[in-house]
Amino acid sequence: MTAIDRIAHLNRWRHRPLTEKIVLALGMLLLSVVFPPFPVAVIVLVVMTVATLAGAEVPVRVWLACAGGPLGFLLIGVVFLAVQIDSDGIALAPEGMSVAGQMMTRTLAGLSCFLFLALTTPTTDLLAGLRRFGVPPEIVEIALLMYRFIFLLADAAYSMDRAQAARLGHSSKRRRLRSLGLLVANLLPRAMDQGRRLEMGLAARGWTGDMRVLSRATPLSVPTLALVVVIEVLTAAAGVHFS
Amino acid sequence: MHIMEGFLPVEHAIGWFGVSAPFVVAGVMRLRRIVRERPQAKMMLAAAGAFTFLLSALKMPSVTGSCSHPTGTGLGAVVFGPAVMSVLGMIVLLFQALLLAHGGLTTLGANVFSMAIVGPWVSWGVWRLAGKLGASITVAVFFAAMLGDLATYMTTSVQLALAYPDLSSGIPGAIAKFGGIFAVTQLPLAIVEGLLTVVVMNALSGRAGKVDEIQVLCGEVRG
Repeated sequence: MTAIDRIAHLNRWRHRPLTEKIVLALGMLLLSVVFPPFPVAVIVLVVMTVATLAGAEVPVRVWLACAGGPLGFLLIGVVFLAVQIDSDGIALAPEGMSVAGQMMTRTLAGLSCFLFLALTTPTTDLLAGLRRFGVPPEIVEIALLMYRFIFLLADAAYSMDRAQAARLGHSSKRRRLRSLGLLVANLLPRAMDQGRRLEMGLAARGWTGDMRVLSRATPLSVPTLALVVVIEVLTAAAGVHFS
Repeated sequence: MHIMEGFLPVEHAIGWFGVSAPFVVAGVMRLRRIVRERPQAKMMLAAAGAFTFLLSALKMPSVTGSCSHPTGTGLGAVVFGPAVMSVLGMIVLLFQALLLAHGGLTTLGANVFSMAIVGPWVSWGVWRLAGKLGASITVAVFFAAMLGDLATYMTTSVQLALAYPDLSSGIPGAIAKFGGIFAVTQLPLAIVEGLLTVVVMNALSGRAGKVDEIQVLCGEVRG
């Protein structure tokens, strides 16, 4: 299990209705890409970070760890925007800094919305929610099964990796590459086999190709949803007013 | 290299979703047909997708020192076929975003185009072409994986350059900037991925007897 997945199942807002979380995260995400970054993106960044850390009580350490990778990407992007190429070669771009600043603010706002969704809502809930957006049920089902297989295969890959390491399979770069190749080559038939066995097991129990699972549904809270919409309308108003 | 959440301006984000849509819709239609004809294929497809996800999460020994991951698109395209890969690739990218915080939702369209469409189709094309030219399987697999990988990164460079043109030299300058850094970091990576895929295919064909039979291993998926 990844840290994100664990927190998504254990945070305080885990059982809040999917609609509330989706409206908050996607609504704010939309506002942050549609409006100019000041002041909307700043508001979005603050609101969403507070919602994630204080509201859903996601540990700061986990939040920072998740933001780390994307922030590295962002840093490279900022450096690119701040320089320009002309006849003299590479130079510092005069307007590049403001473009970079705008881009950085918007990206951070987007990241905060995205992390809110990923850290408060388990992937399975989100996938099940995709049906409401008109994604074909077969595709949603394949995605849900895939989610299950990922953890099964990850366990297998992990034990293979440890077995290889214990047999000096990681002693040089060349061997590492060969070990990894063997691991992948063993994983593929195993994955296919696991799929086939699961299918057989289900067929033996009269499965006709439909997956039905119970999920705990919390009734939608109208005041909470109204609060979310009010926050978004105010943010949009700030965007219209200051731009 | 996944483009992170919020990095692309809104017009670009929507535009790339539009560009990817026909490929993904075609892939979805194909998948639905496979599943309708043979419901048992659903499990195999899910297993194939999970395999692709894991492939992209494995650490490769890197040349430049930074930790790096195979894209897996080359192997996926050769084994499962490019049309199916576009849909599986999209779900994999969604999982990478939600489980590993790589990539994002607004940038999903752009990432799908570079990693689930361009990469697999280039790999598949190279693989078929090399086969027709009579190249050995090792050579064909190596170039399919390597060029698929490179095509993915070149597409990402172009996407970034279109979104953020260089202020004095415009889009070509920006492509040179983004492409320059990717060439340094990604060329060795692409070669490593090519070598890795050769090792994988050799080991697989050792199991299956002939390379054609590798695809039989995944027969349900190819449909």
